[in-house]
Order: sequence, then C-alpha cells, then structure tokens
Amino acid sequence: MKHTLRIQLSSVEGAVIRALGLIERRGFSLNKCSVGESDGTGRDMEVSVTSSRPGDLLKRQLERLHDVYHVELVPIAIVNPNKPGVRRI
Amino acid sequence: MNVSTHRAPEPRSGSQILIKALECNGVKQIFGYPGGTIMPVYDALVGSGLKHYLCRHEQGAALAADAYGRVTRKAGVCMATSGPGATNLVTGIANAFMDSVPMVIITGQVPSALQGTDAFQEVDIFGITLPIVKHSYIVREVDDIPRIVNEAFELAESGRPGPVLIDLPKDISAGMGEVADVTPTQRPAGRMPDPGALQAASEVLSNARRPLIIAGGGIGISDTVEAFREFAARTNIPVTSTLKGLGVMLPDDPRYVGMLGMHGNGAANHAVQNCDVLMVVGARFDDRATGHLAQFAPSAQIIHLDIDPAEISKLRKADIAIVSELAPALAGIKPELKAKATWCAQCANWKKEFAWRYDAPGEGIYAPKLLRDLSRARPQGMTITCDVGQHQMWVAQHCRFDNPLDHLSSGGLGTMGYGLPAAIGAKVAKPEATVVCVSGDGSIMMNVQELATLKRYGIDVKILLLDNSALGLVRQWQEIFFEGNYSEVHLDDNPDFAGVARAFGIQARSIKEPEEVSDAIDWLLDSEGAAMLHVSIDSMENVWPLVPPGQPNHKMMKSNPHKSGPNKGR
Repeated sequence: MKHTLRIQLSSVEGAVIRALGLIERRGFSLNKCSVGESDGTGRDMEVSVTSSRPGDLLKRQLERLHDVYHVELVPIAIVNPNKPGVRRI
Repeated sequence: MNVSTHRAPEPRSGSQILIKALECNGVKQIFGYPGGTIMPVYDALVGSGLKHYLCRHEQGAALAADAYGRVTRKAGVCMATSGPGATNLVTGIANAFMDSVPMVIITGQVPSALQGTDAFQEVDIFGITLPIVKHSYIVREVDDIPRIVNEAFELAESGRPGPVLIDLPKDISAGMGEVADVTPTQRPAGRMPDPGALQAASEVLSNARRPLIIAGGGIGISDTVEAFREFAARTNIPVTSTLKGLGVMLPDDPRYVGMLGMHGNGAANHAVQNCDVLMVVGARFDDRATGHLAQFAPSAQIIHLDIDPAEISKLRKADIAIVSELAPALAGIKPELKAKATWCAQCANWKKEFAWRYDAPGEGIYAPKLLRDLSRARPQGMTITCDVGQHQMWVAQHCRFDNPLDHLSSGGLGTMGYGLPAAIGAKVAKPEATVVCVSGDGSIMMNVQELATLKRYGIDVKILLLDNSALGLVRQWQEIFFEGNYSEVHLDDNPDFAGVARAFGIQARSIKEPEEVSDAIDWLLDSEGAAMLHVSIDSMENVWPLVPPGQPNHKMMKSNPHKSGPNKGR
C-alpha cells in the first residue's frame, strides 16, 4: 500500500538522513522524496512510500524523532470506478 | 528547554566545559577508555569531581554504563575515542536502545577540518549509530556544549529512555569558549492519560470474564512497581510478566502466574492463550514473548498502556490504547470488581501444575536448583546480572526477584558478554548491594578482560560461571531443530577458568559435584571482595519448556522428542 507523508523537521545536521533511514529501516520502501527549506528555520520533506505496514505507524515512529516537528499522513484519494466521486481513506 | 544560566566565566576549553556540564547533570561516575581524539577530555578529567572507571575494552565501558543506567534510572555515561574506540561502543549502545536504558555516550572525533577525509581513526559514528540511538549530536561550536549536554540527559532519561550520543571533534574539545555553565531546571511533567481511554479500559475490564495483565519492563523503568502492585491487588486480576518484567510482582503473590514466552512458565503461557482481555503494561509484544503472533492470545481484546505511541498496534492491534505515564493510567483504571473465581482458580491451578521441579535425574550439578538456592541465600535479595544463553533463561526461571531493577539481563539485543561489565556498573551504582554475575563458559569469554577492572578498583562482584563446555543454547537448538548436527558449539578446550580468574588476582574455586553446591554458594557470597565460582554442569542439559519458533505459546516442548536418556523431560 502507498502512503504519502509530509514531514516538518529541523535543519540540523543529520535530521534528513535520520528520518529517511528510519523510513526504510521500519519496512517502508521509499518511492519519492523531496526536501526543501521551510518558511522558518526548518525543512519540509514529502515522501511517498510503499509498505504492507500501516502509514500511521510510520507517522508515529517519525514523530518520536527529536528533530521532527510535525508529521502529516496525507489521505490517499481513491477513485472508485463504479461510483462517481472520490473516497478518502 | 528551560534553563538557568550562570555568569559567563573566563575562557575555558571545550573539554572543561563538557566536564562541568556533566557535573551540572549530576554525573559522579563514568566508564571509558582514552585515546587520540578524546585526549583533551581526559586531560580535563584530572582533578574534576568525576570518578572515571577505566574498563579494558570500550564495549565493557558501554555495557557498564548501561547497567548503571538501569539501576539508577539516570543516564549512565561512557566515553571513548574516535574510530575503533567508538565502534567498540556500538554493541553497548544498541543494547541500551533495545532495552530502553538511559545512557549518554561521548565519543572523540577527528578535528572538523579532517572529517570526511578518511583521517586516522576517523569513523562516522554519528552515521553508524543512527538506528540505535534515541538522538545524537555532532558538536560544531564550543559554546553549544552545555545546551547539548543538558538536552542529551533530558532526552536520555525522559519519556521512553534511551541512549544519546555526543560526537565531539577534537578542535571543539580542545578549542576555547566563553559560554556559561547551564544548570538544568525541572523537566516538564510526563504525558497524562486520556480520560476517555481510561473509561473504555475500565469498562472492558469490568466485562471481562478471563482478564490477564502482562507486566513489562516499562514498569521498573518508570518506577511504578508499587503502583502496579496496588492495581493488581485492587482489581484481583492475574498477572504474567515478560523477561524484563520479572520482579514487578512478588513471585509468591497468588495472582502471579510467572513469566510468559519461549522459555516461560506453562501457567503463564496457558493463561495468556486463554484470556479474553489482555492488559499489556509497558511491554512491546516481543516475538520471544508472543510466540507465533497471529495465534497469540487469540480470543483477547487488547488494552495497551505505554509511554511510547509508536509501540501501539506495532505488532498486535490495540483495542484500547493508553499512551501515558504508567502511574496515572493505572490509578485511573477502575473496573467494577466482579467475581472471577473460576478464572482465578484456573490460573492458580496452572501455577500449581507447572511449578518448577528440582528433582531432576542425573548425577551432576543441576543448574536450575543451584540458581534457586543461590537466590535464596540472601534474604535481603541481590542484584543478579547475566549473560545470554541457557544460564540466562535459568536465571529468569529460577532466581527470585522482588524488584525488576535487581535483574539485569540483555533482553532485546541478547548480548553475550553483558554480564560482567553489567555487574561492574551495578556495583558502582549500588555499592551496598550484593551483586552476582551469572555467566556461561561462552559468554564470559566475550568480556573476560573486565576481570582486570574488578581487580583494579576492588569492585566486589561475585561471578557464578556455569560451564557446560558448549555454546549451550545453540547446541540445544541444533539438537532439537537441526537433527543433532552440531556445528561449532563444542568448547571442551575451554581454559581453566579458575586459573584465569586467579591470574587477574580474583579468588576462584571450581566444583562439579552436587554435594559441593551449598558450601560453595556460601563461600562465594561470604568471600571478601570479588570471587569466581566455576561450576561444571552436564553439557547436554537443556532449557525447558521451549516454545518452538513459529508456534503459539501453549505448544510448549517439555523434552526433546528425538532423545531418550537421563536428561529427557527435565
């Protein structure tokens, strides 16, 4: 299953690699990653991952990191071919 | 964090600032080993208020700091130089990480300008340890040292404890700064439970017909043993424990059914497989405790109490999750007390049925009985550290613990070589305690050099060495699961262990007959200073029961089905 997470984290040395390392180590395959400077002093990161494990578990594991300020699990939009409209899960 | 600062002093070296920062955090003793890049810190150590214990391998220093952290619930501190000094710490850091032990690790690093150039004794210890630390720092400014050290101690000791590493380049430790010392102020209160979850847990427990509690290591870590015992008494719910939860309940408490898991007691494993509500307190569903996860407690609703939100539903979905400090959570769960006499009687019957037996056949010394007798030999109790293997499981099964902090065992990582340095750390932390290291002939050789540390500082540690001339637990698995195809497990060319101990200046005695045991235990515990009792036991002895890998907990083997002989069925 695919998950997308938006992560706000500190810009200190090692913060990005610590978060990325955790993602792979905890059983989530990294499909896409972008890192940029945020408005404040930190960085914004968005990752797209695939795993059989639940995305909210990864969210809580990332939130444990001291360098991570905030994690948002982006709801996945699924288009149901039988019914019009979008279901959010 | 909240801090109070003093006036800026005269310029000082980074190392002097570091030593002062450690003192500001209440550090009295540290374990370490000097070398090139950490030399400025060792220079500043002289004349400071810190007592340094020179271990004889950095792994010994890290494992001693781990035990110090467990016993005191304050961060143990270890220190080493860059390169091999730092990499030798890694096992000890991982050990602390896996068992949630507060630890602060200080490593020397090559000067900042040389980092990334493959300089002599350069290694990226920050990168190497990323998966096994709660947090880590590379210090880039001398004036950052007090803030970083204070943060490191707060992180290591608060919430779910863990190791925090500070990598200190030599230009920083030798460089000058004018920063003031910073005294850490009171830390914010811990996380409180959600009232709705407490209410939900109370209701589920009220309606339970066969409730059971798993007492985990988090109870000892968070100093909630008394609160937990009060909860168990108030609710009259049967309790099992994990390896790290041993000592949370008094073994003779009628509600207590023993340790669960791969080498757990049958009563505990049957109780957990038959309960309808399982309240898990400060434990993390480790595979050695659950057996086959999908068949673990198959008909139970799960109430999970833990300070770490990332443990909730990691392995087993929690029906009710309470993420909080344990004491207020336990106080806030108030189930209606309904009679559960049939279930409690069933648990009591299992406890009686599966009580350990010590009447095993065989002519040699029976290690389980020896360990039971050892832990009965001091009514005030003792701190027992152990290594990893058969003896570790026998300690868990047969020694009595009245407090979880009396049982120092490498639970998560399973580090052979933990026992001796852990005993050093425990004795330094608690000089008044009787500290016994129970080890095996495989494990003792992993950190045997620490006998020199015992001698150097006159540390009164008693070593009970169970020698079966084999890597016993591996040999047992090869016997049972690999059709007796023994591969690299025989140690019949072991050294004369008593002779080795004496060579280090440690008194020692060897026994091999059952009638020698009682006198030898007295000799070991009554000896003046450090001593080793070397005990030869049957090399084919096995640990029972055993839940085979991939099986549910109630499918316990009690003997090797392919073997007959005097040891069968022990």
